[in-house]
Amino acid sequence: MSRRRTTVGTAALLACLGAVPALWAWEGQGMIDTVPTAALVQPGPGQPWTQTEFTELTAQGALSDSQSLGSGLSLSGTAWAMADSLPSGDPRVTPASKVDLQTRLLELKLSWEAIPGSLIWDVGKKVIHPSSGFFRTPLNVMSRGALGNSANISGSAVGTWEEGWIGTEVTFLTGPASFSNFFSPRLRWTGSTDQALQYVTQQQPDFQDLARVDLRLGEADVRLLGLLSSGGPGSADPDVLATLGAGVDTNVGDAITVRAEASAAQSRTRLEVTDAATLQTGTQTVSWAPSALAGFTWTNADQLSVMAEYWYNGLGLSGAAYTRLIDYTRTRRSTLGSPAPDVMDQFGTLTAAQHYGFVRVSGKIDDSLSAAAWTAMNLQDPSGLSAVVLTLTHDAWTVNASAMDAWGSTRTEAGLLPMLWRIDLQVSLFL
Amino acid sequence: MRTIRSILLFFLAAAAAHAATPEELLAQVDAQRTVPNLSFVMTITSMDGEKALDYNTLWGYVQGVGSANRSLLSFVDPASVKGRKMLMDGNIVYLLFPRTTNPIRLSPLQVLTGQASNGDVVRTAFAADYDVASLTDATRDGVDCWQFSLALKPSRKDSYYARVGLWVEKATLHPVYAEFFSGDRMLKKAVYRDFRAAMGKQIPFLVDITDADSPNKHTTMAFVSVSQKSLPDTAFRRDYLPSWMPEQPR
Repeated sequence: MSRRRTTVGTAALLACLGAVPALWAWEGQGMIDTVPTAALVQPGPGQPWTQTEFTELTAQGALSDSQSLGSGLSLSGTAWAMADSLPSGDPRVTPASKVDLQTRLLELKLSWEAIPGSLIWDVGKKVIHPSSGFFRTPLNVMSRGALGNSANISGSAVGTWEEGWIGTEVTFLTGPASFSNFFSPRLRWTGSTDQALQYVTQQQPDFQDLARVDLRLGEADVRLLGLLSSGGPGSADPDVLATLGAGVDTNVGDAITVRAEASAAQSRTRLEVTDAATLQTGTQTVSWAPSALAGFTWTNADQLSVMAEYWYNGLGLSGAAYTRLIDYTRTRRSTLGSPAPDVMDQFGTLTAAQHYGFVRVSGKIDDSLSAAAWTAMNLQDPSGLSAVVLTLTHDAWTVNASAMDAWGSTRTEAGLLPMLWRIDLQVSLFL
Repeated sequence: MRTIRSILLFFLAAAAAHAATPEELLAQVDAQRTVPNLSFVMTITSMDGEKALDYNTLWGYVQGVGSANRSLLSFVDPASVKGRKMLMDGNIVYLLFPRTTNPIRLSPLQVLTGQASNGDVVRTAFAADYDVASLTDATRDGVDCWQFSLALKPSRKDSYYARVGLWVEKATLHPVYAEFFSGDRMLKKAVYRDFRAAMGKQIPFLVDITDADSPNKHTTMAFVSVSQKSLPDTAFRRDYLPSWMPEQPR
């Protein structure tokens, strides 16, 4: 199985790379990441957690192109490939092969401007990201998340590459408003089919329909959206569930942009700790899970920029439930070989609590060198992740060097993260 | 040919000399260089003295005049910025990165400190945005000029520059030099060169802009080609940016 995956992945990667000289007008990016990391790992059942250092090496590339076909028709797409030396991110796991290869078609859509500038019809695969948030994105209600396993050095919620959804969208722009509707069908196939299609596209477990209205009110950009999703009749999730959202962006004076957005998703489930001492958990359904973000970016005349965001996570825990979660995670870690589920990271890193903050300061050192420092903080502990990033930019390449640290006591969320620190040296090449 | 040109210049100068008011003279300066629905290919080069620091090649489309205009820009070179799309709608600017779908809103100061602010210098329509505070005779580099002192119209308060000093060659009505002020502080100086006939107008194909705080650093904005293309109003909207498929202007 692994040999077949490797062969298919290698062929796809070589096909992409081999196409480059012939398609010089295309837009492309290649990225090589070297990531030395220190993490707490449990070498095996019954053994104590110990600090381990390891280095993950990834190489990713994406090629994009858009072609006008005439009469308002255009075709655009992006293909992506990745080779990863440590796909699990965990040095304990025995890999299936020396290097894990993945490929995916991120986007491929045919667009038709039926009325130029006003009525646009898209069909194919596309990414839908209405959110203006940086650290978190409450309005990205149809996001699959970042592809691959590369380190997130910017602190942004949106990764460099993400796979879109297969569907169709109609957009109508008129006056100060635009209206759009994206429908994405349920696409499921057998395991054997998936062995081949996993190198092209993921399955889509639900029917989804996203309606959006974007308005310009004075100097403010306002957006409203509603998402309906269902597994459909006969599926394991036949209920129709709704997610509603709204957001606004505007300028305040000459130096500041502000943004605020909120969404609420119907009927979300989460694991909750019922007894930390005995590692008992239960599933809880939240009838409406709100998520809200407010933030600003301030820039001065010397291009020094400060970004700050606050995120309210309605699916997270607070008070006694949060304390039980911290106790549970500590007990689970000290209980050798425990099969108890990881409740802390069930939705990703820094998502267990309800209140988070993010601050990023960036500026230019000279014409080609810039620096940034950011911290993402759990405001309930407090604890968090902090990083500094240096970026050297040239016409056709950039080099990023970053160092990230998880900080907080062992009674805090970030203090209980397996990752202790991480260094990243990233080289990007552009076509 | 040179004779015909000389006659034309004579009549232009004569017409300018008999213009009824300074405002009419300024309107003539704009009228002979402003092309409606301009589309262009432009290179922007940032220089430190004679050393080029970086460059960009853009495809652009403009609708409207002066600070009320709207511009769609596509970055085509260098590779590190290729695929970026920008909409400048008055003083509101949106930037869309490749493979993203939500344009980022930039603050006026972010725009003012970046290369987009130089675009604002190029886009300035003097007669549409400014009142003439004074008009005097002057000589610049041995050329007889009109020297305008311009004050921003109250209705154009969203423009970046409150005051402009403008030198216009009397013989041709070509703007040759301008100083852009915010209050009493000079922000930029612009030199207009390489006037060429295009679409019945005389367009400066090269504008050299110097940051007043860093006299050694300057930016040259050079048209590679210009033409006209009318896009629908809705194309100059934030929500259209993700759907916009830039094509090289002809």
